[in-house]
Amino acid sequence: MSMITSHTAFQFAAVLYALALAAALAPGKRSLPVNLPLAAAIGCNLLAVGLRCHQAWPMLPMHLGPVALPLCLGLFYPLAARNCEPSQRRPAQRILLAVIVLLTALALCFPKDFYLPFLKSKTLLAHGFLWFGVVGKACFILSAVWAANALLPCQPSHAISAMGRSHRWAALGFSLWTASMFSGELWSYLGWGTPVVWEDPALTLTMAAWFFYGCLLHLHLTRSWSQTHRALYASLGGLVMLTLTCLPDLGPFRIPFGL
Amino acid sequence: MKTVSARLWNRLSSINLTVALCLLLTMDLVWGYFCLNRRTALFTPLNDLGLIPWAQTYGSHNLLATGWFFLLLTLLALLAVNTFTCTTSRVAQLLRAKGPGGWQRLALRLAPHVMHYGLIVILAGYLCSYLFTQVLTSSTLTPGSHLSLPGSGSQVQLLAVEPEYYQGERLAFWKNEVIALRARLLLSDNTGQREAILSCNRPVRFQGYSLHLIDFAPKSLNGMKMKTRIDLHVRKDPGVALYLAGMALFSLGLILYFYQWIVHREAHR
Repeated sequence: MSMITSHTAFQFAAVLYALALAAALAPGKRSLPVNLPLAAAIGCNLLAVGLRCHQAWPMLPMHLGPVALPLCLGLFYPLAARNCEPSQRRPAQRILLAVIVLLTALALCFPKDFYLPFLKSKTLLAHGFLWFGVVGKACFILSAVWAANALLPCQPSHAISAMGRSHRWAALGFSLWTASMFSGELWSYLGWGTPVVWEDPALTLTMAAWFFYGCLLHLHLTRSWSQTHRALYASLGGLVMLTLTCLPDLGPFRIPFGL
Repeated sequence: MKTVSARLWNRLSSINLTVALCLLLTMDLVWGYFCLNRRTALFTPLNDLGLIPWAQTYGSHNLLATGWFFLLLTLLALLAVNTFTCTTSRVAQLLRAKGPGGWQRLALRLAPHVMHYGLIVILAGYLCSYLFTQVLTSSTLTPGSHLSLPGSGSQVQLLAVEPEYYQGERLAFWKNEVIALRARLLLSDNTGQREAILSCNRPVRFQGYSLHLIDFAPKSLNGMKMKTRIDLHVRKDPGVALYLAGMALFSLGLILYFYQWIVHREAHR
């Protein structure tokens, strides 16, 4: 019996996300051509993540982040632009879909899903470390999307509202990122006796992102930089920082739809 | 003299300094990622040796690869000072101008400061841990063998290893491999004996030491027959309590902060 694999499901999701982006970029204001492929893409992505978890549970599937991140962003899509005017909503949704397509392309071209899970990951703290981190990163991306939206030519009130949304997503992301770091530190202490395991270089990027967003929150709260500078920091800086945090989860190049 | 110290305090508590330090820390840690990725073996002994012996050997002889780490320590020290001065100034202001709303309102307004103090406690815990931890690496026990804990007159004996092999179909790659392991230990000191169970993410604490299961054999029902053994990391880490307390404090501040945020949002609806 031939069964659908996690990789195939993710390939379907990638194609459907790309279709949703194409529909969002096309002229016209109907939302069905975007929402339909997007819902199907989320379904396929959910299947891909579910299969990977099923194949590893109770241990942690290795390098699940690049596959789970587009799913989180897809699930956040209806929330991302809730209660805002259409002139703000459409650019934000377009940027978000473009980021999702970029992330799925990265995950397909540079997969690192060939590692087997390991016994020490059989703890809720390990799962907390992964999922808090993934959802936190999705919030950071939404913060960057809204900051990019504030940079687009628009009325000043729109820019202020966009930056307010960017700040809220950054604050939520920072809390989840902190929860992820604490889960990881506790797991590391229980498993290896120390909260920082220096064998894993990814920890430095996790800490870098924490300081980057800690700085962003201070900038928002103190207003010590102009709004444009804060928007540039949160959008361009955020995307560079988040791309860097994806590096440890990316493997060697593979043709994305190769047999 | 008072003006000089007041000026220094103000400089150190500047929010602009916080922003600059956070940016420098971000860049330094990104640099650190590439150094650590290329020269992981240089940093592996850091947990076992402690900070000072590591800095005198691996650290100082490979400055191109470890420079970022020394810069990290300097920046973190500055951040701790900056956070302490800034937070203390704000807390003093808040306490002086308590205003209406009583203690509950004050507690909520203190939430971000609780987080900041939490961060300082975490950093102090790490420093304490890297300066004063005693480590007995690669202590191997076979059933019936003993391990003496230095300076305590106590002993740990491995009574038995109880592996549980995976027999299901779902995890094909794990078939007949150990999916859970329980090591029964006998802990003896001057006051008597007791049994304890050690497993992968469940260390045993005894006489101020924590015993962590690092590796074991055999791992599989099939393949090469290996002698039953467990490898332990035995650590006496005085920083654990501090950084766990710091995490708890930070989490408390975070919860209070979000509670305040929700209350504030509801009030403005």
